[in-house]
Amino acid sequence: MSAPARTYPPEVAPAATGPGGPGRRWRFSAGHGWVVGLALLVLWSGWSSGIGREPVVNPYGWPTMRAFWAAALHPDLSPAYLATTADAALTTVAFAVLGTMLAVVIGLVGGVLISEAWWLSRPSGNRVTRIRRRAAWLSGRVSLGVPRGIHEAVWGLFLVSVLGRDPMVGVLAIAIPFGAITAKVYADIIDETAGAPYRALIDAGASRLSAMAYAAVPRSWRDLVSYGFYRFDCAIRSAVILGMIGAGGLGFELSLTFQALRYEQMWTLIYALVVVGAIVDRWGASLRVDAPTRWLQASLLLGGGLTVASGLYLGPDLERLFSGRTWTLLADLAVQALPPTPPTSWSDLLGSAIVTLQMSLLAIAAGGAVGVVTAFVAARDPTHGPVRALLAAAARLLLLTIRAVSPPVWALVLLFVFLPGPLPGALALGVYNAGILGRLFAEVVEDLDRRPAAALRAAGAGAAVTFLYGLVPLATNRFAAYAMYRWEIAIRESVVVGVVGAGGLGRLLEEQRAAFDHRGMLCVVLVLLVLSLMVDFVSAAARRTWR
Amino acid sequence: MTPAVSLRRVGVRYGAQPALIDVNLDVAEGERVALVGPSGAGKTTLLRLCNGAIGQTDGEVTILGHRLLGVPDREARVVRRRVGAMYQQLHLVGPLRVIHNVNAGRLGSWSTARALRSLLRPVEVEAARAALASLGIEHKLFERTDRLSGGEQQRVALARVLVQRPDLILADEPVSSLDPSRSDEVMGLLTDVVAGRRALMVSLHDFGIARRRCDRLVGLRHGRVVLDLPASQVTDQHGVDLYRTGL
Repeated sequence: MSAPARTYPPEVAPAATGPGGPGRRWRFSAGHGWVVGLALLVLWSGWSSGIGREPVVNPYGWPTMRAFWAAALHPDLSPAYLATTADAALTTVAFAVLGTMLAVVIGLVGGVLISEAWWLSRPSGNRVTRIRRRAAWLSGRVSLGVPRGIHEAVWGLFLVSVLGRDPMVGVLAIAIPFGAITAKVYADIIDETAGAPYRALIDAGASRLSAMAYAAVPRSWRDLVSYGFYRFDCAIRSAVILGMIGAGGLGFELSLTFQALRYEQMWTLIYALVVVGAIVDRWGASLRVDAPTRWLQASLLLGGGLTVASGLYLGPDLERLFSGRTWTLLADLAVQALPPTPPTSWSDLLGSAIVTLQMSLLAIAAGGAVGVVTAFVAARDPTHGPVRALLAAAARLLLLTIRAVSPPVWALVLLFVFLPGPLPGALALGVYNAGILGRLFAEVVEDLDRRPAAALRAAGAGAAVTFLYGLVPLATNRFAAYAMYRWEIAIRESVVVGVVGAGGLGRLLEEQRAAFDHRGMLCVVLVLLVLSLMVDFVSAAARRTWR
Repeated sequence: MTPAVSLRRVGVRYGAQPALIDVNLDVAEGERVALVGPSGAGKTTLLRLCNGAIGQTDGEVTILGHRLLGVPDREARVVRRRVGAMYQQLHLVGPLRVIHNVNAGRLGSWSTARALRSLLRPVEVEAARAALASLGIEHKLFERTDRLSGGEQQRVALARVLVQRPDLILADEPVSSLDPSRSDEVMGLLTDVVAGRRALMVSLHDFGIARRRCDRLVGLRHGRVVLDLPASQVTDQHGVDLYRTGL
């Protein structure tokens, strides 16, 4: 009997004949190398964080932890506090709206200017011209990596020292890094969709801008809008974090209630976050694939209205951006911060960088593990019975709740029962990323091809075997790709849990800020930038081999 | 009188692979030239060369008396807008209304500001309507282009070339995906309504249509011009020789 014909993905295809001779079934590939290497890195991170070697748990914190969770059942619903919460929620949403709008504007202009279509589509007989255009395109791409590599909170700290206390700080702190990310994504979308119709117009003598407007934008605007709303979803979470460092809104109230140990009020705020998160989440999801054009247009109009309302509500002082005082402060800051100098010693700085790296690795390992399990429970499936569907809905609500609460809050909560150090910071990031990864993974599971599983069931396989052989293998590559993508973000987010004392470069940054050591701060930010660019590079390389 | 296209000893290589070898060709104003020959003979390369989409490795290429490559962008655009193109895949923008797809032919002559304004409030509507009317679909002016049938979309692409009012029209296998009767109909529109007295270079697989609709046939084989005769002098035997396998 001959073996059934099968197509294998290249990395698991059996080698017909090779060094091991015929019959050798498995070959160690670059893809496996990445898996083993990253797993070793995670183990090393866990070992360094002290798990199993030294006490990490603070047994005296359990009563406080219990009090915190008990308060979830009776949040403060007094009219006065509900009014405070509503006001704070409006502030947070307004920051997110204005930040996202500005980011989308930056993204549209930047996206066109760094697209391949803009620079490389025009034929030229001249070699020098071709090289010059390629250089312009590349330098545009690279220069956007810098604002992208720095977390919103760090932008917030920088901007507040230049612009002072003004809502403009919160808006710009979101708009600058988000604008850079949006520009990159928009450039990719434009390049994927512009294609032959765009080149046909260029060949017929159209200017690049006209050709973009006639060929690229009409073909891609749905994707552009839907990504803009996805960024809005992220901006809400960033606005909460910025609130904690002084921009106001739900984040600010959260840190106030936490310092005052008013857990009932804290839960009121958390529920408000969940409600806002759920609305934005549903709105964003409704605009993805196959949304009716009318709904897209209505959402755009609504977004415009929200922008105007948010501007009126926050009243940012636009004049401040261009005032002489701002420029003087900026120049002063530059003088104070140059040249960047390591705060203590280079070895200390390197040590903190390693801790930050370990925190991000542990966070993604923990978040990914929890996310995978939750995703299979949370994924929608039309074949589910009522009980199973209810369980899935509960899992989705849990994921929504843990991602609505920002990582610094989780860090504070975990610090009840963990001794201060990198571990609670890593776990806080892990919890938060479990919320995000769980949701992304659930989408992967919902989109999976169900036919292999159905075939296994028809052949008499049990539920566990069907799951392990019919579903898991189809999902692992995409799970891994998403985990890598979140790792890139986690390394940037590590700074915000560091700020509350969880260690790594974030704590170093907070210490230098308290000491007004601007040279030290700049140095830490630069190290963080280099680290995050390195992680981007590793992640991109790993994802390429797994594709 | 400047020829629409003038190629002198032109060679094109993709890496080490020659695509065109020592091609000499003049296309006069108003002349309708069919490029014929087996797949891979170099017809598309020749058209892309005339479009300025690629450059030659050897020789001299002059389009409407100008060079398209190695000149400043602005200068090249002035020539490019006088060269219209019709593609097999049409390259229309589906989500746009027909009027905008037709007016896309005008983009080379319009300023960017005018082009952007026209997306909000279409300009030169009457010219677009007249172009569509001459092709029999003026009632589709404000419909979304991707709601049109394949045949109607083909006419929209023709109307786009028509409003461009180019001096040279290049068409790369415009009818190869159509059945024989539709092919002849679309080619008729292309040669009589759209091209009229303008120069036209069109690559075709159908020898019969080429002889019926064009003034002159240029045969390519392995990158060389092996046939160049007025349509009236071309016989069936020429076609047999051109498409014969082997040498």
